[in-house]
Amino acid sequence: MVDVGMTLEMVQASQLGMKALGAGLAVGLTGIGAGVAEMAIGSAAVGATAENRDVFGLVLLLTVIPETIVIFGLVVALLLLF
Amino acid sequence: MLRPEQMRRLLIATPKGEIETIISELYRHNVYHIEDFVPESESAEALSIGHPLPGASDAASALIKVRAIENACGIDPDNVEIRTKLPASKVRAMIETDLPSIQKEVEDLVATRSKLEARQKEHEQRARELEPFAAVPLDLELYRGYTRFTVFTGHIMHDVSIDVPHEKYFSDKVDGNMIVVVVANEHREEVERTLLDAGFQVIPIPEETGAPADRLAAHIDETRQANTEIAAVNEKIAGVRERHTDLLVACDELLTADVERAEAPLRFATTEETFITEGWVPGDQAERIRDALERVTGGRVYIEELEIEDDSRVPVEYENPSFASPTQVLMDIYARPRYSELDPTLMVAVVFPIFFGLILGDVGYGAILLALSLGLRKFLKGDEGRMLLKVLSYASISSIIFGILYSEFFGAALPWPALFFSRHLNIGVAAGGHGPQVAELMVLAIWIGILHITLGRILGMVNARKFHHGKHAAKAAIANAGWLGTMWGIIIMIWAFYAIPLMPDLTGLPVVVMGFNVAAVAGAVLLVAGIIGIAQENPLELVELPSIISHVLSYARLVAVGLSSVAIAMVVNFIAIGMMIQPQLEAITPVGVIIIIFGILVLLLGHLLNTALGLLGGGLHSIRLHYVEFFTKFYKGGGKKYNPFGMKSKFMEE
Repeated sequence: MVDVGMTLEMVQASQLGMKALGAGLAVGLTGIGAGVAEMAIGSAAVGATAENRDVFGLVLLLTVIPETIVIFGLVVALLLLF
Repeated sequence: MLRPEQMRRLLIATPKGEIETIISELYRHNVYHIEDFVPESESAEALSIGHPLPGASDAASALIKVRAIENACGIDPDNVEIRTKLPASKVRAMIETDLPSIQKEVEDLVATRSKLEARQKEHEQRARELEPFAAVPLDLELYRGYTRFTVFTGHIMHDVSIDVPHEKYFSDKVDGNMIVVVVANEHREEVERTLLDAGFQVIPIPEETGAPADRLAAHIDETRQANTEIAAVNEKIAGVRERHTDLLVACDELLTADVERAEAPLRFATTEETFITEGWVPGDQAERIRDALERVTGGRVYIEELEIEDDSRVPVEYENPSFASPTQVLMDIYARPRYSELDPTLMVAVVFPIFFGLILGDVGYGAILLALSLGLRKFLKGDEGRMLLKVLSYASISSIIFGILYSEFFGAALPWPALFFSRHLNIGVAAGGHGPQVAELMVLAIWIGILHITLGRILGMVNARKFHHGKHAAKAAIANAGWLGTMWGIIIMIWAFYAIPLMPDLTGLPVVVMGFNVAAVAGAVLLVAGIIGIAQENPLELVELPSIISHVLSYARLVAVGLSSVAIAMVVNFIAIGMMIQPQLEAITPVGVIIIIFGILVLLLGHLLNTALGLLGGGLHSIRLHYVEFFTKFYKGGGKKYNPFGMKSKFMEE
């Protein structure tokens, strides 16, 4: 799909835009994924802490484990942009 | 260092007559960790649990009294500043002389307060009931005592018109409106229906006389008076707390010690004439304890050192250099090391601040956190909190150092270019130099990951010999080596195919077979050998192979989280300074001043938020890398806490 009216600059600019879109999607979608994963863990963690305060450190840790997903998204986004 | 403190297992047996001497001597030394005696019920002539010393129940009930007073006065011994230390003998005398009067005083005050509170509640309730009636100009006795009339009083949605002869007062001055209708008994049902249609809700007529407004004022007055009296009583209780806190916490401490001593025999084994206790002392204390016990009993004691059979029963006490000891609190959150395994506290103490600094490398944020950790030390009195603050202060110093290296101050550049790698993003007008070196930083983070995990696996090989015996120890060690080989095999193969900045470039090596060069073949051999190494211990472990890649890549967060924090800081700077403050400064107008003030507010709020995020992100991610990526390679944990029998006197002196 080549538009005859496009100059090289326009193509480059739109490629840049696509990269930015991709980076945004990478962070946004992984963010949603991490959020969904943390949702169940977080609520279970709060319940467990209410039962026994000693497990706070452990459950805090379990809660942040899915954060890796969004970190990978962030890494992909940074590699796309730079 | 790298090992928990050496422990020795002692068995102490003495005649029953010496029990009190032994207990108080052990308590005084505060080094003996009692192993609770669990009776074995099978044999009839088995040892049985000892009985508490005489006086145990007296001490316990006195302790309950002291705790009740402390509770009433709101004293928490953990959070009491130590002002003076009272001598133990004086405290003991004061328990007899002073404590009963204090107890009586506090009990009286608390009783008065609860009486006053009841009175205040009652008047409040009455006032609430009277409130709607104050809007109607009728005395309260006029509502009652009719035989031929019915009185309706209550809330209603709106005023209604009534067809039968009646008397009516309506007011919309009160919440939910107020209506009073008086009708003859024969019209009662008809009127009730009309009222109900308008959403009528009955309010009971208060059992009082006189004008409602006057009564209401009287009740409000009573409530206010009760409140003043409650405040006065509270002040008196505060006075008691002010005067007697020192004594109360000292009594608490003394009686707690008494109770602990008196109940110690419950943890001992006894026969008819003797008692036996088993326990642990740190290696260098064993001889001292042995000598001390022999001296106080005049040799009427038998002490034997036993072999350590099962390392899971040994209590664990950390032994670290002083700068690393605050990090023990981070270890305890995960799990205390077992007696025979490596204690990684020292490594965490060194690496954690470095990770934190890599993530939050900013002179400004580091300085804020340093000030915070030093300032909060005054308010936090618990041991754990103080240790955490110390860890935070080390981390923030590292953050300042990395901030100097990165040349960052609240997201803005310092007067020099980045000495290390630059993290300055092209946000707003701040861009300068050669932009952010994201790729280089990312590779650096991966390098850190590779080295950290390699260290973890090597420690895993060392630990394998501690956890397992004989053939299994070798298998476990080889499995760890297998994981290491697999990881390095993958890395070398990647190097052989792709040239990556800051990493060895092996693409140029001579090709041997099928287009693979030497490095690729070596990597493949390492990989296969590694997989065999893992499988020989447990083939099921092979499903975990992808975790090698995800764990190494996980270290990319060191850069990613840091960059996001830099980005937030730069965006805040750009919005507040670039878009709001600077344009207004060129020509100052009254509206401009407001915008400037608003801009400063945005700046402060934004950086406050980013400080909190940086603390959370930097702290949680750094410790997570330890817990999840590092510890899983070698660390089991689950050691028992070393809890010596005795007490460090806080509020008393001997």
